[in-house]
Amino acid sequence: MTSEGPAFQTTAGDFYGLLERAHSPFTQRGPAAGPGAVTEVHGTTVIAVKYKDGVLNVGDRRATGGTAIMYDRAEKLMALDSHTLIAISGSYATALNIVRYLQHAFKYYARTQLQEMSLDGKLSELGRMIAQNLPNAMQGFGAFLPVLSAYDAVTNEGRIYFYDGMGARFETAEFGAAGSGSAPIRGAFDYILKTRGPFHEMSRQEALRECLVLLDIAADLDSATGGYGKVLPAAKAVERTGVLDISEDEMNVILKDINRRES
Amino acid sequence: MVTPYDFNESVQHRAEYVEERLRDGSPVVGMKYRDGLLLLSMKRTQRKVFEVYDRLMMSAIGNQADIEAVRIAALDFAHQEGFSRSPDDVTVNRIVGFALSPPLKKAFGDAWASPVVFRGVFAELAGAGSPDRFATLNYDGEFAFSEDFAVAAGSSYAEEAMVERLREAKADVPLDEAIRAAVEAWALGHRAGSQPRALKAEDDDAGEPPVPLDEYIQTQMKDLVVEAAVLDRQIARDAKFRLLQEVDWKDALK
Repeated sequence: MTSEGPAFQTTAGDFYGLLERAHSPFTQRGPAAGPGAVTEVHGTTVIAVKYKDGVLNVGDRRATGGTAIMYDRAEKLMALDSHTLIAISGSYATALNIVRYLQHAFKYYARTQLQEMSLDGKLSELGRMIAQNLPNAMQGFGAFLPVLSAYDAVTNEGRIYFYDGMGARFETAEFGAAGSGSAPIRGAFDYILKTRGPFHEMSRQEALRECLVLLDIAADLDSATGGYGKVLPAAKAVERTGVLDISEDEMNVILKDINRRES
Repeated sequence: MVTPYDFNESVQHRAEYVEERLRDGSPVVGMKYRDGLLLLSMKRTQRKVFEVYDRLMMSAIGNQADIEAVRIAALDFAHQEGFSRSPDDVTVNRIVGFALSPPLKKAFGDAWASPVVFRGVFAELAGAGSPDRFATLNYDGEFAFSEDFAVAAGSSYAEEAMVERLREAKADVPLDEAIRAAVEAWALGHRAGSQPRALKAEDDDAGEPPVPLDEYIQTQMKDLVVEAAVLDRQIARDAKFRLLQEVDWKDALK
């Protein structure tokens, strides 16, 4: 028998630590051979804008592999928990893995610690995942960039964050976008702000209309972005009551109106 | 020299030690209701009913640190599996039967380890290919599955009193009716457990008659509060767990 005292091994709700102890492949990054060995599937354009009740996310459904369109029903908007939405662009494989990780990490924390992880804690967790992916990204594959939208229960408002490739986090006042089609439409966001007023004062329908037009412009200027002609985009929102799916009917009403005016 | 007799005696002593510490635990009731599964107990201050995974919850009697160790083991297993395989692979069958039972048995049989003071109920809402299910798990690693209800109490006669009440309970009732039935079952178990053994004798003149159930519940609720949670099929998100609040049981216990 030993005379050691009790071993205080605390869990602190750290899901990554748990996976490391279990030698999960998720935490074991193997050496990479370099780009070109596989065709990587990429998600393209996603948009997040505030509106008066929260944050709206809209994304096209296209995923590309090189110059080929691999999939036209890709899901790029996902709920991380009841009040947090993530919109992904870039490497689809990395993004999906990290989304699944984050969903489990947030739940694991809440269930073990018997309290929700703070919004700041969730943002750091996502930053940590992007930073960990940096060695892959530097070798030319697996890079992904998300836009995170949340409803902040403390300040009672919707909030939008984007990240750089090293995991730095930036909060934006009105909108965020990521993916290949986001660069060409960047100025269009500012044009809307200056001519129509701030997004955060719009109704959900108004904000949705602007997003659909922006996505259509992105599809015109970026070959990797699918518009809304063939497959409807996906749209989700996060409000005080939680994440909600925007129905196809709601989108169709607005699209019909846009098309009527254009013709 | 260790003889077979010493082994028997050692196991018996450990069982007595654990049973003695479980005796005063506030019983746990698991039962079905119209929209899902209910776990209910009474507590002073500490939490008693816990979410384990999207369709899984647990409650237990025993030493708080031991319950915590079992709870974390269940959570670790569930989340690791749910992440590396699929949430569909996280089942009460795997958690109780393979992740928790063998280590409990090992701790119980190891004369140099302190035994785990634990008796718990797990509840699983029907998912991909599995029905609604309860499991009970004991400090010695013994476990059992059931479909309609499950209980954990400090003694077998307390559990029998509870089971008798739950056999009459209907599965297809609204939540407040189920809460009422669960509180009654809890009270029967708690009352049976708090009486000296002699009173359990069949003959009528063994002692004073037990306190009427309603009165017993009212008295107990001066010191204790309901702790209950449901796995509710009507909840749209993946995680079906909801910890009940006072408004959920206020009317049921008028």
